[in-house]
Amino acid sequence: MFKGLLLFLLLISLTARAEQWPSEQWSTARQITGPAVEALETYAFPPRDDSTRQGIRTDALLIIRDGQIIYERYAGPTTAQTAHLTWSISKSLMATVLGVAYGENRFKLEDPAAQFYPPLANHPALKIADLLHWASGIDWQEDYEYAPLKSSVVAMLYTRGHRDMAAFAADHPSYAEPGQAFRYSSGDSNLLATALKGMLGPQRYADYPWTALFEPLGIRHAVWETDASGTFVASSYAYLTARDLARVGLLMVRDGRWQDRQLLPRDWVAFNREPFAGYKAGQDEAVPGGHWWLNRAVDGAPSPWPAAPPDTFAALGHWGQALYVIPSQKLVIVRYADDRDGGYRHNELLARVLKAVQP
Amino acid sequence: MKRLLLLLLAMLLGCMAYERENLWAFPDIISAYTAKEYCSCRYVMNNDAQYCRGYVKQWLPTSQFTDDPASKTITVSGMGRSNSAQWLSERQGCRLNP
Repeated sequence: MFKGLLLFLLLISLTARAEQWPSEQWSTARQITGPAVEALETYAFPPRDDSTRQGIRTDALLIIRDGQIIYERYAGPTTAQTAHLTWSISKSLMATVLGVAYGENRFKLEDPAAQFYPPLANHPALKIADLLHWASGIDWQEDYEYAPLKSSVVAMLYTRGHRDMAAFAADHPSYAEPGQAFRYSSGDSNLLATALKGMLGPQRYADYPWTALFEPLGIRHAVWETDASGTFVASSYAYLTARDLARVGLLMVRDGRWQDRQLLPRDWVAFNREPFAGYKAGQDEAVPGGHWWLNRAVDGAPSPWPAAPPDTFAALGHWGQALYVIPSQKLVIVRYADDRDGGYRHNELLARVLKAVQP
Repeated sequence: MKRLLLLLLAMLLGCMAYERENLWAFPDIISAYTAKEYCSCRYVMNNDAQYCRGYVKQWLPTSQFTDDPASKTITVSGMGRSNSAQWLSERQGCRLNP
């Protein structure tokens, strides 16, 4: 009888301490409420004008704490079922797919990229790690909305490069030695996507993001567009529901582990979260790690988002897309948007979320 | 305002005449962008047609726009060029036609 009671107590304490993981659906904890949540919504969901498209235009805001939904709201045409365009969040998703391949020993960070993509023979010193740091040294122009004529990324997506985006990137000359200088480049991300094809072969490659990452995480409706050569547009064109993107966030907040399986090696996640040494303060809106953005104070400058803990990292995309991961707070935040002006501030949203989730 | 922008654009084009490759490709941008991003808005994100027309709207005009729902093919003309994009599959979404 006493033993039975002990066992019962043990079981209770085990379930109370058990980690929450989404199965087919996310489970929901008690939803956050109160004035701080109202302040968050005032910022994220102001009245929306679809004709002028001005101001902050959040499509989805989803907050996961410790594996459970504590806040979820959609706006505009977006719903919980919408596989939303992630734009450059796709880059960090490709890094995560590559992390699985890394765990399968398909490549090493120091491997020359040309080993997996021969057209890079004109950039022989370029390593996979350099591409992950956006430090290929390839003379790429990322600006688009202000300089469409000079923009490499517009040419890659819509004109001269769209049939084979990696070949278009590889065809650019160098401006620096690989691995020395940071320059944000969608070309670097698509070179990673084609290098993965070289690691796997075209047959296995076509399904690999699904077999390696999406299916193990229970993601059922991911879309990843390719160019005409069959290479995933890793720079720009992955689509996921907010709830599915949050699964990738949960994988990252738990250091690459999904339930009992270490899907991404720990040293891979550590590489993702290590600032690139060649980055100079102010070169971009956050600090580049291994194809993720870090909230780290480097080079004597303050951290990019002072309101958030220094272990915060993120995947960020055009028009306000963001996946924020805060391991110290067990928080994952997905924000989808259609911000057409530059008014949205990561720091302001993070400040208000962190206030709203206070117990 | 639009006229002024077009004039500035024309001057810019003149200044950069030496950039032949970029110049030649430039007029394709508006029709290719509109075809591709409308296709994905409509058939990948499954938003309604009216919303997607607003979603892809730019200050440069397009002259023709067709969406064939049977083949999920979008064809757009603008600045003297025509481009089309087509939905391929549940996983692959849309792609500009080569």
